Amino acid sequence: MVKYILKRIGASLFTLIIILSVVFILLRQMPIEGYFDNFDKLDQAVIDARLHQMGLKAPILQQMLRFFTGLLHGDLGISARYSVGAPIADIIAQKAPLSIQMGVLSMALAIALGIPLGGAMARSKSKFWDRFGTAFIVFVNAIPAAVYYIYIQSYGSNALGISMLFDRSRAISWVLPVFSMSLGNIAYYAMWLRRYMLDELNKDYVQLARAKGVASRNITMGHVFRNAFVPMIQYIPTSLLYTVGGSIYIESLYSIPGMGGLLVDVISRQDNPMVQAIVMIYSCVGIVGMLLGDILMVFLDPRITFAKKEGVR
Amino acid sequence: MPEQVVLSIKDLNVKFSLRGQMLHAIRGVSLDVYKSESLAIVGESGSGKTVLTKTFMGLLDNNGWIDSGSILFEGKDLAAFDEEKDWLKVRGRKIAMVLQDPMTSLNPLKSIGRQIGEALELHQSLKGEAAKKRIQEILADVGIEEPARRMKQYPHQFSGGMRQRVVIAIAIACKPQVLICDEPTTALDVTIQAQILNLIRDLVRKYHLTCVYITHDLGVVANVADRIAVMYAGDIVEIGTSEEVFYSPRHPYTWALLSSLPQLGIKGEELSSIRGTPPSLFKDIHGDAFAPRNPHALKIDFVQRPPYFDVSPTHKVRSWLLDSRAPEVKPPPVLSRIRREGGSLYDQ
Repeated sequence: MVKYILKRIGASLFTLIIILSVVFILLRQMPIEGYFDNFDKLDQAVIDARLHQMGLKAPILQQMLRFFTGLLHGDLGISARYSVGAPIADIIAQKAPLSIQMGVLSMALAIALGIPLGGAMARSKSKFWDRFGTAFIVFVNAIPAAVYYIYIQSYGSNALGISMLFDRSRAISWVLPVFSMSLGNIAYYAMWLRRYMLDELNKDYVQLARAKGVASRNITMGHVFRNAFVPMIQYIPTSLLYTVGGSIYIESLYSIPGMGGLLVDVISRQDNPMVQAIVMIYSCVGIVGMLLGDILMVFLDPRITFAKKEGVR
Repeated sequence: MPEQVVLSIKDLNVKFSLRGQMLHAIRGVSLDVYKSESLAIVGESGSGKTVLTKTFMGLLDNNGWIDSGSILFEGKDLAAFDEEKDWLKVRGRKIAMVLQDPMTSLNPLKSIGRQIGEALELHQSLKGEAAKKRIQEILADVGIEEPARRMKQYPHQFSGGMRQRVVIAIAIACKPQVLICDEPTTALDVTIQAQILNLIRDLVRKYHLTCVYITHDLGVVANVADRIAVMYAGDIVEIGTSEEVFYSPRHPYTWALLSSLPQLGIKGEELSSIRGTPPSLFKDIHGDAFAPRNPHALKIDFVQRPPYFDVSPTHKVRSWLLDSRAPEVKPPPVLSRIRREGGSLYDQ
């Protein structure tokens, strides 16, 4: 198992290097006007000096080498445009915790509501909870999130009697953004759990469990739910990590100083080192999420093993 | 046979509602199952044999219900059970079941030891070491070697035949009175079928189980059953000892069924088959359900449902042909070949 994980990590590193190289090269193809706020008014000497300072004058391979050596030393680089001269690690360390806290809370809420909803839907197929849940899922997926986010913000803050903007120190002002963030995941989990549970319910082993004398409650919990959860567990780490990455829309709606809008922001301002660093973080998050999902599967499903199997029967 | 009735079914009617239509799946079946006997229920797909046995365990699908009739078991009417907790005292403990396809009837994510242990814990409150010991005994009983190691394994580590042994182990774990085997060998390799049948037969003898086989394979029946009930369109049309049904069948449907046995075919000649299709159970059936496909049908077959005629104390047939006023009809000559081949239909 350790061997397998090491192999996967090695492959992931390779993937990461490719992603970073591609992003790196693409960024270098951007027009140089983007690096300046008032390009037209500057004379050539100033521009050259500034480009040289940003390290953009060197041959691209040399630039890349410098970037990867920096990474190996744990150095993410210095922000070139977003917050000139500040170490990128500091900028992220300042913004990430809030997004992470919010993401974890919204994930917890999504699991706490989505999983029971999906289970209730599967158990009462075509009855109240199923219809209610289906309506909810269709609603969340069909209506653009932007629309109900705004409604939640305006009606919610009214109802709670709080300001529309986020105030970190007041617990109550966390409620609306966290709830909004979790809606999509609640629908997603409920939908898939219902589907997987119905798949399982129709299998023969459920019949056999009934014939064995297991009460239907225990069949649902001990057999059906557990088995239906296996295909879901694969996606939960990924979805957790992405949620933790922050939501651009919600963070801007509530003026939350998180990670959410950062990537778009630094791309539009052509802050190459920042783009590289954030792309790397998001890639790592994705890769780690998938790896975790696969490892969890192994613990839950005995049919899956990392090692090569000896002959069966 | 010392005739002590274990399960007594009286005029049972089962209906299903399917897409707004009502399907009459079991049409007034009466049947007594005797202690320690092996009864085979045979019939083609859709004749209601599985549905009938499902009523013994309260396992009808949600859209089906017992419309009328009774199923007496240990002084209780199973047909009147409507709460799950009543059934939980019967299922697995008093009446157990072996399903058709062992590849799908075990939970793939639980070790087989746990799946057997689940039954032991429910019905005999066995846990921990005591349960472990018992599980190993049961596994050894069904012919699984190295039970201590095997009980920790998962279904995917077993072959089809071995899995069916596990399913049988679960069924006999709590020493039930009645064992229902719903086509226990249909999904298995031909070479494994005989092993599983022998295993079931041995266990039935060892534990004095009452066994109800459901099958459409008459070759299986010949080997295991003391008595045979032939079902057609939700009704038992002929019932008797194996000898009686095989060697002197009286119902035209039984004749047709036996004539279509491949074992009776002659090389180069077309195998006999039953013309037409079974009647739709969505509609009311008048008269004898088999009449439209029966070359010997009488006028009355289309008008009035035949009663049971007693051929012998153990042999009952629902056909007007046995009425004293009916013309004499000889069974198809090919059936005499069953007799000539003697003993069992074919040895496995």
